[in-house]
Amino acid sequence: MSFDFELILDSIPKMLVGIGLTFELLFLSLALGTALGIFLLILRISGRWYLAAPTMVYIYIFRGTPILVQIFIIYYGLPQLEFVRDSIFWPILKEPFGCAIVALSLNTGAYLSEIFRGGVLGVDRGLTEAAAALGISVRQRFIYITSPIAIRLCLPAYSNDVVSLMKSTALASTITLLDMMGIARTIVAETYAPYEVFISVMVIYLVITWAIQRTFAWIEKRMSRHVRREA
Amino acid sequence: MAAVSGWWDDFFWGSLVVVELFFVALIMTVLFGLIGAGAKLSNSRVAKSIASGYTIVFRGTPEILVLLLFYFGSAIILTAIAQIFDPEIKFVDFPPFWAGSFAIALIIGSYATETFRGAFLGVDPGQIEAARALGLSNLQTFIYVRIPAMWRLALPPFGNHMLSLVKDTALVAIIGLEETLFVAEQAIAYTAKPFTMYIVVGAIYLGFSTIITLTVMGLERYANRHLEVWR
Amino acid sequence: MSKADRQLMIELENVDKFFGSFQALKGVNLTVGKGEKVVVCGPSGSGKSTLIRCINRLEQHNNGKIVVNGHELTGAVKDIDAVRREVGMVFQSFNLFPHLTVIDNLMLAPKLVRKTPKAENRKKAMRLLERVKIPEQADKWPSQLSGGQQQRVAIARALCMNPEIILFDEPTSALDPEMISEVLDVMIDLAREGMTMICVSHEMGFARSVADNVVFMDEGEIVESGPPGTFFDNPKNDRTKLFLKQILSH
Repeated sequence: MSFDFELILDSIPKMLVGIGLTFELLFLSLALGTALGIFLLILRISGRWYLAAPTMVYIYIFRGTPILVQIFIIYYGLPQLEFVRDSIFWPILKEPFGCAIVALSLNTGAYLSEIFRGGVLGVDRGLTEAAAALGISVRQRFIYITSPIAIRLCLPAYSNDVVSLMKSTALASTITLLDMMGIARTIVAETYAPYEVFISVMVIYLVITWAIQRTFAWIEKRMSRHVRREA
Repeated sequence: MAAVSGWWDDFFWGSLVVVELFFVALIMTVLFGLIGAGAKLSNSRVAKSIASGYTIVFRGTPEILVLLLFYFGSAIILTAIAQIFDPEIKFVDFPPFWAGSFAIALIIGSYATETFRGAFLGVDPGQIEAARALGLSNLQTFIYVRIPAMWRLALPPFGNHMLSLVKDTALVAIIGLEETLFVAEQAIAYTAKPFTMYIVVGAIYLGFSTIITLTVMGLERYANRHLEVWR
Repeated sequence: MSKADRQLMIELENVDKFFGSFQALKGVNLTVGKGEKVVVCGPSGSGKSTLIRCINRLEQHNNGKIVVNGHELTGAVKDIDAVRREVGMVFQSFNLFPHLTVIDNLMLAPKLVRKTPKAENRKKAMRLLERVKIPEQADKWPSQLSGGQQQRVAIARALCMNPEIILFDEPTSALDPEMISEVLDVMIDLAREGMTMICVSHEMGFARSVADNVVFMDEGEIVESGPPGTFFDNPKNDRTKLFLKQILSH
């Protein structure tokens, strides 16, 4: 059993073609998921049970079931339902790319809303009280006091979630999409050389993970200028 | 829902496979986590680097990639070994159950390494000193003081690892394990109701997640019973 | 000033406050006139903080009536907003916004609540920083300042909203001893300029020299109150005497 380096060099450019799709999946789902996470957070902390309760059920379901199953339900399952086929969303939902984005966004939105909630709960209550005492309204308190501080607090967890999301994009290969993982599997099916191909794509994924972590470390450093370093 | 009738017992057996997979992987996870934490906490630079490499690789690589790599990779090794004995053999299949549980254990084990390491470092050094002063041997201190303190600290994050573990078991269907997703696919071939069947799978996993969450909550209460204030 | 001329800024009438089954305030009656300085003292848990926090609605009273500067606090948002614009508060733990510079801390509320234009806002903020004697710290982060400096910034921040009343919740209790006087000096200046103040504090020297009325609270009730002369030299109630002995003996 020999290690075919030539195969590695040959495959890497092919897999990098998939990197575009990997990044599309990542960034689009992250953007939508973040927006969804914020929306769910606001419902959750609204104080109104009829908004908070369904939100908690949603989060419970999406965090309690495997993302693969969620992808299958949306891609293979929804076409079974007539009202989905008739709806305006059908053009998106019949395409594997659309389904992947929907599944990844809905999933990551659930996780992110809990992360954001953790950040909000971590804001010192005295600060919001001081703002209230100054006459600043609830909405303004949330925007100018709670959010900046909460964002800085959730950065480590957010960064972990971005890495998780990146790893989840590889599941798009199970519904025919040719992202890096999809292309890698195709090459392996043709060449019967799982080690070379899979290890190469693993290296690429590790580089991306590293890049994500470095980026967030830099962001966190910049946002913590005002924090006192414990002597 | 009538479509599902007739399939309930198949789903039941599929769920049992998931349960088996979960427990086997769990045992290996704890093992890998303890070994990894031990390596990271040791004085050996070699051990530390290997453990670091382990956690970096397995936390930064998509789970499906790890699974496929192990499944195909181990099949190749097994085939090569078998061909030594019988050159006629073309391909030996590595049982997906073991490839799957091993791969998942490696993945979750890398997270568990960090959790156990943190828990170990979190033990109050004062307690260790007290044990030494009382004359307990190293081994006795480890068993009667360190471990009880450690598992209490590790429990909440490890609970999350267990949830990830149960959800990752769904991925083993990709390498052919006959568990719930496999049953769903067969059911879909007969009934043409993908939505219904995948929802059943989702519900099964939601059930498992709930059981794990409740168990962890119960364990946390047990772990902290000495802290409860009796009115 | 005769009783009839006294313009009432704050009126508490029979106020009760419950936290679950625990009663923090029991039938509290208090009035504060314009320009008056009231110091509230008492053991921990006596309800002193709860009392002043009810005045700007950081806590909601359960029974009784609270009227602040003509606005009755009933839960109507309009009134709560009005009261908070006119009443300033200084906290024991300063509560400066850590992600904003000192000057931005001062400028935030006028910008958001009164929509003050930037230049005017900044000028006023700098003037107030000079008043509390730390204009050079304007562009620093709160974490770079000492406790005493942070508290002075907190006072300046409250003053930026032109309050008619300022509430102080144990403003010097979290400070190292050598920094207490710099904050008390600012408070004394404010008092001399005629600000209406309610101050929860253990600083009896401050109370003696500045207060018009000293109020002693214990277990949710106002046990005794009176001008500092009478209060310190001739306490009537036994609980008051006990408290004064404990607090003045060191």
